[in-house]
Parts: sequence; structure tokens; C-alpha cells
Amino acid sequence: MAILVLDILTTAAILFAVSAGLLIILGVMKLINFAHGAFLTVGGYMAYLNGAAGLSPWLSIPLAAGVGFLGGLVIERVIVRPLYDRPLDAILATWGLGIVIGQLITLGFGRGVQFAPNPINGTTELFGVDYSAYRLAVAVIAVLLVVALSALLKLTRFGLNARAVIMNERLARGLGIDSTRVRALTFGLGAALACAAGALITPLISVDPNMGLPWLVNSFMLVMVAGVSFPGLLAASLILGGVQVVVSTYASPILGGMTIVVAAALVLRISPKGFSRA
Amino acid sequence: MKIRNFLLGLGMGLACAVSAQAQEAIRIGIPVGLSGANSVVAPSVVQASELAVDQINAKGGVLGRRLELVIADDGSGAQGAQRAYDSLVFQQEVDAIVAMETSAARNAGLPIVNRGKVPLIYTSFYEGRSCSPWMHINAWVPEQQVAPIVDQFMDGMGAKKFFLIGSDYAFGRGMLEFTRKYVESRGGTVVGEEYLPMDGSDWTAIISKMRSAAPDALITSTAGGAPNVTLTKQLRATGVDIPYGNYAIDEGTAATMGTDAEGIYIAASYITGIDSAANKAFLQALKDKFGDKTETPSELSVPQYEGILAYAAAVEKAGSTDAEKVVEALSEVTVDGPRGSITMNKQHHAPLTMYLGRVAADGSVEVIKSFPDVDPGDQCPQFAG
Repeated sequence: MAILVLDILTTAAILFAVSAGLLIILGVMKLINFAHGAFLTVGGYMAYLNGAAGLSPWLSIPLAAGVGFLGGLVIERVIVRPLYDRPLDAILATWGLGIVIGQLITLGFGRGVQFAPNPINGTTELFGVDYSAYRLAVAVIAVLLVVALSALLKLTRFGLNARAVIMNERLARGLGIDSTRVRALTFGLGAALACAAGALITPLISVDPNMGLPWLVNSFMLVMVAGVSFPGLLAASLILGGVQVVVSTYASPILGGMTIVVAAALVLRISPKGFSRA
Repeated sequence: MKIRNFLLGLGMGLACAVSAQAQEAIRIGIPVGLSGANSVVAPSVVQASELAVDQINAKGGVLGRRLELVIADDGSGAQGAQRAYDSLVFQQEVDAIVAMETSAARNAGLPIVNRGKVPLIYTSFYEGRSCSPWMHINAWVPEQQVAPIVDQFMDGMGAKKFFLIGSDYAFGRGMLEFTRKYVESRGGTVVGEEYLPMDGSDWTAIISKMRSAAPDALITSTAGGAPNVTLTKQLRATGVDIPYGNYAIDEGTAATMGTDAEGIYIAASYITGIDSAANKAFLQALKDKFGDKTETPSELSVPQYEGILAYAAAVEKAGSTDAEKVVEALSEVTVDGPRGSITMNKQHHAPLTMYLGRVAADGSVEVIKSFPDVDPGDQCPQFAG
């Protein structure tokens, strides 16, 4: 039982970390970033490069975040900004961008599986069971992430501006908020979160050019269910991630693999706005 | 004008010579997964094929004719394989096909081979019991792969309760189904058998289930590459240290995985460390031909090399490239290659020497035991006798 609870909590933490970048971009920019999976992959490769350079594995996460932020700013300026008035085209552009990034990684590193060193190995004892130390660390990091992101949105000037843009962009602009700048920073932040999450999950999965893909679908469903709020995303990760673990444990892991998608569809059918204003 | 006519004549003469030579060459089709899941191993398979053809041509070819490769991408799957086989059999009209590919690709290609009546040598290990009068197989089937590992765990380490984990596809399920039967026939029990879809990367629930079932030993049969690595990493992260047999890991992956791979047991018909003159000569020839671009040979590329040698020997024996005669000869000829002496005389399958290896701390594979001429069992009883 303790293991089941820990499985649910850590799975939810991983899902939250992986989806946060997608959520913030969707919230502020009304843009579904289909390059999210590719950003995760880039983060994974940053962890690999970091390991190959012999740096501490813990450094890979801030390093990936930094690269993601700068890359996100450039991508926003070059690809996303010219398409602000054509939201559908912007979505297609991010899709294409994801494919391009994937192919560039394949060109640079080959299709093979790469390895990044683990920051923590082995298990720790918790509630009377031995549990993967790294999964627990990920859970702690996810909690810190929730706190930090909430603080960013509630306590800073950028957060205030971002929330204004989320609520009503025209009005925000009318009040003198530079919404272009807010959008650019948001995209950078979203890309940074995605890359950091990619680096964060590498000790649990393999680094290969398609590593981000399976996460993209689940993140997308979670964000749809969450509505535009981090507490909503946390709730969605806990509930849907929990259902996934329970189905995998008591029914079949093959069904578990599609649980999040099916459950998300059900939630949206019953409550079209998801968890945020339900 | 004269010079012009001379040049023209020379050109036409050359063209004739070239086309005459092209007609003469024996063409071998190589459908292989240049893209998709097999794209990681495909380069080593192509290198092995090129080396085999080079070596045969250097000795004057077969029946005085050169060998020539026609390589086609099968996309590692059924759709791509259909296109590749269609093109090889009906447009390129190759004399034979030597194929290292996925089971899905093979199953898609077989009907085309049966229709086109082309000798096919399948060189990838697989789940067994695929039969066609036109197909021979020189790689292992579950009967040959499973016993060394299970025997080691039961006899050498006293394991009774086994847990099985696999990827949800024909090979993963086929291997574990056979493992279950074999374990039970030997008086052991299987306390759990779990699968994840091929693109799945979260093994959490399965690992937790396994830990609560408290097995003595674990055997996994995932797709190669990412799923295998993901599962192994997550197993190690939860501190699983029971005997662990892995059907899908190869030496290259073990070497890069480092400490996470330590202690994994593998059974293979080829390990680069095989101490024989033929293997050393093969490794040296690869190095001479490809230099530092050499892909590490493996369980998948070496049978491909030997498959082409087997086809050449069969054509030599049959005295022609006539498909029926060649197929008959394929069951009789013996190839002395890196894996030893191999004859595909057992219902179109081959008895193989299997090696039980254990991954050491530095990622290298040490051979613990070898099992000479392990029988493939009754794979295609219709071809018996």
C-alpha cells in the first residue's frame, strides 16, 4: 500500500514537472506548443552533454533550463511572433519546429540511445519500504517547482502582467502592459521548464531522439484538463496520474498506458472547463 | 570526325561491357531497417553484408559471377517491408534475399517471397515457428535462447519463482510465453508476467508489482534500445538486485549503460569475445575495410555475414542460381564463420552454439559457459526429414 501511494505521488510529480512548460505557454499565449516534446528531448541531450563533459549531474537541470530559456526567446522572436495573428498557423509552426529539432538531434547524435549519469542512485527507506531515491527527489523538486511558479505568478511584476494578459490581453495592453514582452518571456520560461523537465527525467528513461514524444500526448491531455492554473495542473496530475498507476497495478499496464488520455476525455466531457473552474 | 566516331565506338563498347557484367552479377536483396526501430543496428548489418560480398568477390565470385548487393529500406515495419520486397522481388528481380529485420517486416515480406519464389535467408533471432519453403533461418529461436539463462538461474543460483517483463509485441510475448512453459516444465513457477506497449516508458507499476511478488529471478524481453534501457534504469533505481536475465540487451548497449547493466545475464550465439581464429579474422577484416567507421558487430550483423556466405556456398553446390536447387542446397551447406560451423539442416533452422554471458562492472560481457550445438527444436515439422 505504501508503495502504491508513493508510486502515485511520484508519478504525479513527474507528470506535473513535464507538463508545466506546456501549461504556461498555453495560458499566456493561447498557443499549444507542439514542440514541447522536442524541448524535453533537448533537455535530455543537455543532461547527456553535461555528463559527457564530466560535470555534476545536478548541474544538468539548471543548464538545460538556461539553454531552453535562450533557445525559447530566439524561437519566439523568429518563428512564433510573426504568427501571432494566425493562431492555427502558429500551432502548425510549433509542430514543424518539433520535427526539425528532432531531426537535428538525430543528425548530430545519431538515432542510438545515449546515457546521462544519475545524480542519485539506489533507494531510501520511507514508510517502511525501500523506494527509488531519485523518484523521491523528483517529487521534492516538483513541489518546489509548484511553489516557485505560484510565487512567480502571484508575487512578481512579471506574474501580475502575465495574469493580466491571461485574463484579457486587449485590456492589459490598453493599461500599458507590454504584452509582446510578456509573451516572449513566457515562451522562454515555458521552453526552459520543458528542457529542465527533460533533464530531470533522464535518470529514469533513455536519451534518444524520440524520448519526448510519449510525454507530449499525456502533457497535452493534462493541460487541457487543468485549465490555465498551476494548482489545477497539480490536481490533474495527481488524479489522472493516480488513476494511471491504479489501472496499471490492478488491471493491466497496457491499459494504464492509455488511461490518462481516456480519463482526460471523460473529465472534459463532464466538465468542459476541466478542473480550474469546475 | 574520326576521333568523334572512335570515341562514340569506345563509349558504346564500354556500355556493352558494363551491361554484360551487370547481367552476369548475382544480385542479393538486403531489406533492412535503415529507418525506424532497427535503424540503430542497420549500419552494422549493411557493413557485414558488404564485407561478405567483398570477400567472396575477391576470391573470384560464385560460379565465376560477381555478387552484388541491392539494399532496400524496410522502415523496420510491415508497410515498408511490403514495398521493399515488392521492389526487390518483382522490379529488381534479385536472385536471393538475405534479411535481418523485425518479425513484422518478415511476416509482411514472406507472402511476396512465396509468390516470387526467391530463396530467403532470415538472419535475425526471432520468436520461432515461421515457416516457408523458400526461407532458411540461421539465428536463434526461443528454444535455444531461453534454456541457458533459466538453467543457470535454477541450477546455479537456486531460483524457483520467476517474474517476466516484456514489451507488448510478437517477439516480446513469444519469448516470454516460451520462458513460462520452460520454467514450469522444469518445476519452477512464474509469479507474474507483465507487458508495456513498445513506446511506453513508465515501468513504475510493473516494478512495484514485481517487488510485491518477491520473485527469485527476473527475465525481461523488451524491444531493443529505449524500452530496454528505460526498464533497466528504473529497475536499478528501485534497487532490484535479484538475478536478472535480459533477452534484448547487446554488448554495445551494455557497454554504454555502464554500472546499471552490471550483473545482467545474456544468452547469445555471438559475443565479440569468442576466442576463435574465424572470429578474430572477421573482426580484423571489418576493421581493415571500414577503419574507425567500423560498427561493432553483434548478434544481428554476424548472422547476416554468415547468411551471405551460406547463400554463396549453396549456389556453388547447386551449380546455378535456380531457386529450387539453391533452397535445397541451403539445408545442406555448412558455413564456418565467426559463430563456428553452422548448418541450417534442422527444418530450415540451425543448431547453434550458445554462450551464457554476464555483464561486468565495466560493461564488457564475460562468457560464463558455452552450450555447443543447441537444437532449435521442432520449428517447422513439415520440412522434417
